[in-house]
Amino acid sequence: MRLHGKSVLVTGAARGLGRATALACAAEGADLTLLDICADLPGVPYPLGTPGQLAHTAALCREAGAAVLTAEADIRDLRAVREAVTRAEDRFGRIDVAVNNAGIAAPSGKPVHEIDEDEWSLMIDVDLSGAWRVIREVGKAMSARRTGSIVNVASTAGLVGYRHFAGYVAAKHAVVGLTKAAALDYAPTKVRVNAVCPGSVRDDAQAEGRMLAEIARALEVPVHEHEKTFVEAQPMNALIEPEDVAAAVVFLASDESRQITGSVLTVDGGFSIR
Amino acid sequence: MSGPLHPAARCHAVRVRSDRSPYPTAPSGLWIEDVPVPATDPLAERRRAAELARPAEGLRRVLLRYADGSCDLVLVAARDQWDRAALGRLAAGASVAPEAGASVGTQAGRTATTAPAPTASTPAPAPAWGLADEGPALPHLFALDDGGDEASWLAALAVTLRRHDPETTPVIGTDHGTYTVPEAATLGELKPSPADGPALAGLLFDEAELPGAYVPCLAPPFPLTLSVFRDADGWRLRCDHLSGHVSTEIAAQFARYLVRVHRMILTSPGTAVDEVDLLDEAERDRVAVLGRPSRPLVTTPVTVPEAFARIAAATPQRIALTEGAAGLTYGEVDERSTRLAHGLRERGVTAGDRVGVCLERTAELVVTLLAVLKAGATYVPVDPAYPADRIAHTARDAGLRVVVTRLPEFPDVAGCVPVSPDELLDAAAQLAGTPLPPTATTPDSAAYVIYTSGSTGRPKGVEVPHRNVIALLDATRQEYGFGTDDVWTWFHSAAFDFSVWEIWGCLLTGGRLVVVPYFVSREPDRFRDLLVAEQVTVLSQTPSAFAQLLDVDHTRVAVRLVVFGGEPLDARMLLPWFDRHPESNCRMVNMFGITETTVHVTEQTLTRRLALAASRSVGRALPGWHLYVTDPAGRLLPPGVAGEICVGGAGVALGYLGQEELTARRFVPDPFTGGTMYRSGDLGRLRPDGRLEHLGRIDSQVKIRGFRIELDEIRSVLLEDPDVRTAAVVVRRDDPADAATARIDAYVVLATCDPAAVRRRAAGILPDYMLPATVTALDTLPLTANGKLDTARLPAPAAPAREDGPVAADDDLTGQLRAIWSEVLGRPVDVDDDFFDLGGNSLFAVRIGAALRARGLPSLRLRELYRHPTIRATVRSLTAAEAKGGS
Repeated sequence: MRLHGKSVLVTGAARGLGRATALACAAEGADLTLLDICADLPGVPYPLGTPGQLAHTAALCREAGAAVLTAEADIRDLRAVREAVTRAEDRFGRIDVAVNNAGIAAPSGKPVHEIDEDEWSLMIDVDLSGAWRVIREVGKAMSARRTGSIVNVASTAGLVGYRHFAGYVAAKHAVVGLTKAAALDYAPTKVRVNAVCPGSVRDDAQAEGRMLAEIARALEVPVHEHEKTFVEAQPMNALIEPEDVAAAVVFLASDESRQITGSVLTVDGGFSIR
Repeated sequence: MSGPLHPAARCHAVRVRSDRSPYPTAPSGLWIEDVPVPATDPLAERRRAAELARPAEGLRRVLLRYADGSCDLVLVAARDQWDRAALGRLAAGASVAPEAGASVGTQAGRTATTAPAPTASTPAPAPAWGLADEGPALPHLFALDDGGDEASWLAALAVTLRRHDPETTPVIGTDHGTYTVPEAATLGELKPSPADGPALAGLLFDEAELPGAYVPCLAPPFPLTLSVFRDADGWRLRCDHLSGHVSTEIAAQFARYLVRVHRMILTSPGTAVDEVDLLDEAERDRVAVLGRPSRPLVTTPVTVPEAFARIAAATPQRIALTEGAAGLTYGEVDERSTRLAHGLRERGVTAGDRVGVCLERTAELVVTLLAVLKAGATYVPVDPAYPADRIAHTARDAGLRVVVTRLPEFPDVAGCVPVSPDELLDAAAQLAGTPLPPTATTPDSAAYVIYTSGSTGRPKGVEVPHRNVIALLDATRQEYGFGTDDVWTWFHSAAFDFSVWEIWGCLLTGGRLVVVPYFVSREPDRFRDLLVAEQVTVLSQTPSAFAQLLDVDHTRVAVRLVVFGGEPLDARMLLPWFDRHPESNCRMVNMFGITETTVHVTEQTLTRRLALAASRSVGRALPGWHLYVTDPAGRLLPPGVAGEICVGGAGVALGYLGQEELTARRFVPDPFTGGTMYRSGDLGRLRPDGRLEHLGRIDSQVKIRGFRIELDEIRSVLLEDPDVRTAAVVVRRDDPADAATARIDAYVVLATCDPAAVRRRAAGILPDYMLPATVTALDTLPLTANGKLDTARLPAPAAPAREDGPVAADDDLTGQLRAIWSEVLGRPVDVDDDFFDLGGNSLFAVRIGAALRARGLPSLRLRELYRHPTIRATVRSLTAAEAKGGS
């Protein structure tokens, strides 16, 4: 097992990529600390993860043999993040891997000058600053132990632009930048920081993801049409499955990638090639 | 270096099972985990194991609740804050505060994080007997009849450790200091006393009884950690180990021996320590079997002439011998040797006589050897290139009455008549075509006597019977597929028993034997041409000779089998061969052997993988042969421990000719088979897989300035250097009467670099006392007539290696600089130590500069220190600057 005995923290773990990642880590022998806001956010036009969904992810992980700690925590709240990290360190002795997965795709769907101050701030606060807060809380102990892996789930929106998604694109580009800067900060202490950039991921029923549907809604196009557009835009002519992204995260979390830091691993079916 | 102990090594744990949750609601400080399977499910086992392996800062309590309603309470705690008794009380539900002494804070709970972490003592280096590997580190558990006390376990550990390494005083760690146990006459008199030093083994002993299942450490705090405890299963011993120090097999057997020794201490304290045998009967049987071959020997004892007659009758027209352009068929060899045998008979040779054969390496020599055997006599090969007094010694010692030779001036030995092959043929002229009269020769009669030069005294004759030679071929024929299509070289002097293998290995399996004239054997390119021209398939070589062949282009050599013998082989030297001759085309076999056990003893097929791993294994015993490794008292040693290699079975010679006393000492009863075994005087160890590691001669261990030194070890360090092709290491004394003048000289054949670089690299690996004083580069190493290293012909060494000559002037300056560096860097410093390797940085450099100024010494610029980061170089640079300034 590639993550045997490792303690892994995943944010946004109630569903979607977070759930798929947690499950993949559990299958590789990791123990898990699962964070999710488990509440809706004013300003986000779609429902976020729920306590029931987080408990379900936890149950699936336990079935795979993992010890699981759950925490309802909003990554916009530094104290909440710190508390969850402290509990995880008490329970598991340490955190070996942190996966910054939590993020929102909307409010979006309008030109940049139509975004209001609150919408802009919300997007940056969750998608960029949330990742920074987790790194801030886990990085010190990882550095002290001279081992650790941080994986930031960015997006192809961290590499190219998308029309009418300025906030999201800006935040995800910044996540890529944060990844590179943090990687340099921690390189002397052997703590690695990498980013994964998924393309368009299927809203899988088991994972209960809904990002693709919400992006389609923000763009005011039918989901099947949006899917078709992206299948055509990704040279391998398929949507990405949540497990494909989880596999990349597991690789970057594991010691197999011990010389890889500051890298950006795309899981986009070739979307960003051209 | 010491450092903080790994958290897992600081912690112990206990697990207590109950039928239902003891806690209706979760109390604070308890983590509850629901495991969605019954307690017996493998997944539940995995979860338990994970919790029991997870270190805690201070204390962690986890309740695993299984689907069947049962629970496991797992407590993990730092040993220095909650000892076993405290852990037991915690497990029973009591509330126990951490031990005050270990924590600085008074607040409950998370004091541990602020407590000073216990430091690990400097770890002992991996012991040779541990056969470190990269395998899994598995704990081993043993039930004990009696727990004894800490002192009894320290004594048992000391006895067991000494038996594994008699040279090292055992230092045993505990969680309250390190101990040693001075030697005593009886087990009962062994008493531990405090000691310092790196501990390889450690003991965690506490008689507090714990409920449930106890885990004394989550990771071994000492490379080999033995824990004695009492939990729900009674007294138990657990052995944890680091595979990089001690492999799991060796750790398991060590723990078994320890338990046995401890029981003896408790039950028969009057036993003399020297009388203790680590191995009980079952273990002795196990180890004896380990030294046996993987397949049995099927052999029919016949004499060598009988075996040859069968081949000659089957293929009389096939070429048996090639010498230059000439060839002899099996029929011709048979007929000529019969005529010569007649001649020997006519000369008065009778069955049981010993006949000297002192001929050049020619087809005629082979025919003569066979003729001596056909005459019912024993052949005694004498190399005509040997000095006259050695030839004379052999003739006298073997009681030779007839020597077949073409030497014009065979040394004059009373009662010994030299006779040429032509004279013998003349004497037999009228008997041509008549069959030889039958002889009383049996397979048990001596076939040959070969003289070996021992490390002490004069060469001694080893008497080897016919059946041994036949057994050697029966042991190898099938495995190596010897047959009539094979072409063998005869490269080695008949006086070297490797030739027994070459000559009879070929002629008794129907192959063609190509005579390699002496001068061809000494010129690698001509030898290479011969191998190609004659399409040789089976090549037997000493590693030294093969190294020379590797130096010429050997691409077109198409042998299918190379057999190494006669010397230790460093497998790394074969890499250039494997580059051109893949394993699938040519099999490379290393055979460790001894004249006294008929040429070979073990076989190890070498692969590129083994060569890259620098394997020292010489493999398992040949079918029919078997091995033991014993201590000086003759007891079997545990696998891994180095001792004397003893060889029993089908190859054991009859003894030393005319030396009953020496024969009785070296050829002793085999305690397991009732036969005879030979005590080789060679050092080796049996690996847990039954393969032998040959470590050189026991007497190649020398002492220099009180240090025990293994020359072969120095040699193998030199050979690890990719630029070193071959190497030899010798000890010399400038004043033979003064041991203090002893010095190690190394000789190397280099690919590219300079000998100083070789020494510099070795200096990074070898301790000072083992570092050769000189390293001399040679084009080739001188070889004896047998193709082994000829130490007598090594030239005087190059001037003693000094990095850049002695420090120019001011020794006082050197001394002061050393003092300053040591003070600033906080460690002893030598004149050639690199500032940065010592942990130096710009801050230290500034401090050194300040200290120099404070003592009124010349100022040292930072840049200068970076450019000359050793004291020697600094002194030189300072003195040079001063000289310049003064001029």
